Amino acid sequence: MNASMSYDVAIVGGGPAGMAAAERTIGAGLSTCLIDEQPRLGGQILRQPPPGFAVTGWQSGRLYRAARALLARVERLDAFDFRAGHAVLGVGAGHAEEGGFALSVQPLATGGVERIDARRVIVAGGCYDMPVAFPGWTLPGVMSAGAVQTLLKSPQVLPGGRIALFGTHPLMIVLAEQILAAGGEVAGVHFAQPRRAMLAALGPRLPGVLRAWRPLLEGARGLANLRQAGVPVHFGSAIVRAEGGDALEAITLLRAGGRERVACDVAAMCYGFLPQSDLVRQVGAAVRWAPGPGGWETLCDEGMRSSLPGLYVAGETAGVAGSDVAMLRGALAGVTLACDAGALDEVEGARVAAALRARIARLAPFTAMLRELADPQAYLPEPELETLVCRCEDVSARALDAAIAACAEGDDGFGASAVKLRCRAGMGLCQGRSCEHAVIRRIARASGREAAQVAGFTARFPARAVPIAELLERDAPAR
Amino acid sequence: MSGARRIEEGVRRPDRVTLRLDGADLAACPGESVLAALVASGARRLRDDREGTARGAFCNMGTCSECTVWVRKGAAAWVRRRACLVPVEADLCVLTHAPEAT
Repeated sequence: MNASMSYDVAIVGGGPAGMAAAERTIGAGLSTCLIDEQPRLGGQILRQPPPGFAVTGWQSGRLYRAARALLARVERLDAFDFRAGHAVLGVGAGHAEEGGFALSVQPLATGGVERIDARRVIVAGGCYDMPVAFPGWTLPGVMSAGAVQTLLKSPQVLPGGRIALFGTHPLMIVLAEQILAAGGEVAGVHFAQPRRAMLAALGPRLPGVLRAWRPLLEGARGLANLRQAGVPVHFGSAIVRAEGGDALEAITLLRAGGRERVACDVAAMCYGFLPQSDLVRQVGAAVRWAPGPGGWETLCDEGMRSSLPGLYVAGETAGVAGSDVAMLRGALAGVTLACDAGALDEVEGARVAAALRARIARLAPFTAMLRELADPQAYLPEPELETLVCRCEDVSARALDAAIAACAEGDDGFGASAVKLRCRAGMGLCQGRSCEHAVIRRIARASGREAAQVAGFTARFPARAVPIAELLERDAPAR
Repeated sequence: MSGARRIEEGVRRPDRVTLRLDGADLAACPGESVLAALVASGARRLRDDREGTARGAFCNMGTCSECTVWVRKGAAAWVRRRACLVPVEADLCVLTHAPEAT
């Protein structure tokens, strides 16, 4: 480990939640270090173009307005340390006497591992697209919706000539519009759920949802735009397989009218999002299985305090709810932390926190409606036995099932880690982020349990794959 | 090859530099990620799995590690990195397979 730096607060993640938290902790006069793997602030929703690029009308849509205003404010602040291009490998206990936390971070450009000490930590790690295994999903060209979107937003690259979208999440409408705006071709938007299921989720909540009407209006407007542009939008159209030789050539979908083969060079999946929870699990904070796509969301109190004193969460790490809620929760975490640190007057802090909570409550009906409307659980495609479920270690559904059956012989309550030890699923470079939810669901199905009752992989250091040589590097010259 | 391309309308980029990719030259924009440069060039197969089956980019946000490559800046040592998190710069060499021991 190289030289240590010490802060009042370390915030992991420079997206809407992390930026909003930083704005509050910096405003309270706390020394703040914000760490992100990306070269610029903004997170995935506002993945900025690289330095030196100039993009006319970048992310000018209404849905991005509040987050963009926050980004502009935080970029003007100079009283904090932004560690861009740094991967957080671990969060552990700090000094024996002073308490707090020690973060192990890897500067991606120069390599090695550095230590950052902080009295308190806010984990605002965001979320990632739910990876869904089906026949052909490992073909080059099959990717997450987030991959397509971030390629468009940041380097301004269209990843394919004909891009098909499939899944259950309405973000597909937004993405399809972005592809069209970039001059690309959308080879169809395929919602796996029938239209009536979506309307059923919307109907009963409509009065509450209308208090946050903007996204609904944008969705309806987007659908109309796609139809006008001649983009086929199907409901009840479920992916069966992806086909191709060395890369994707087509996807096959199944719907009431029969099968359809859609030629495309990119097919992007959009089944919702899983919270990034590796760091909070590694340090031992309590989590619970998330609704819908699943994954682990961090338990927290109404001030965003996790079960570990001094560790706070914000944004999607505390449960996927979208960037507007993420910003409010980030601000709430920052305010709570500032009060706990004695840097903000308790009365003033309580007043601000109450106002933030009221705004979160106003968005709750929309968040709940979207979660139900986009819920992928009843519409997930089925992998074949030869389909790889773990992409990193090449573990097929067949091998996974054999490992699950072997585990079941010894122990009724076995979890994902026992299965991992038998077949290597989850042992690869992604540290199990891609396959964990699928492994848990397969265990649950085989053993008649709910997914929430199946223990996930044990979260271990390092949270990101890092070469041993860099972990061992010591006494390197100061950088 | 895919129909991938850089969006030109309304976008001003810095002058291209040359990236050395698996021994061949590839023009790329400084600052864009190595993965973005590969995707924009039409490259789709980024690695082979154990069965020799082609694999490509998946998440583009540092989560899946499918795009892991070896990179070397100038005369420095080769390091393994996620291509989606490595900005293109001059004097950068990229290998999609492990470098041969020297």
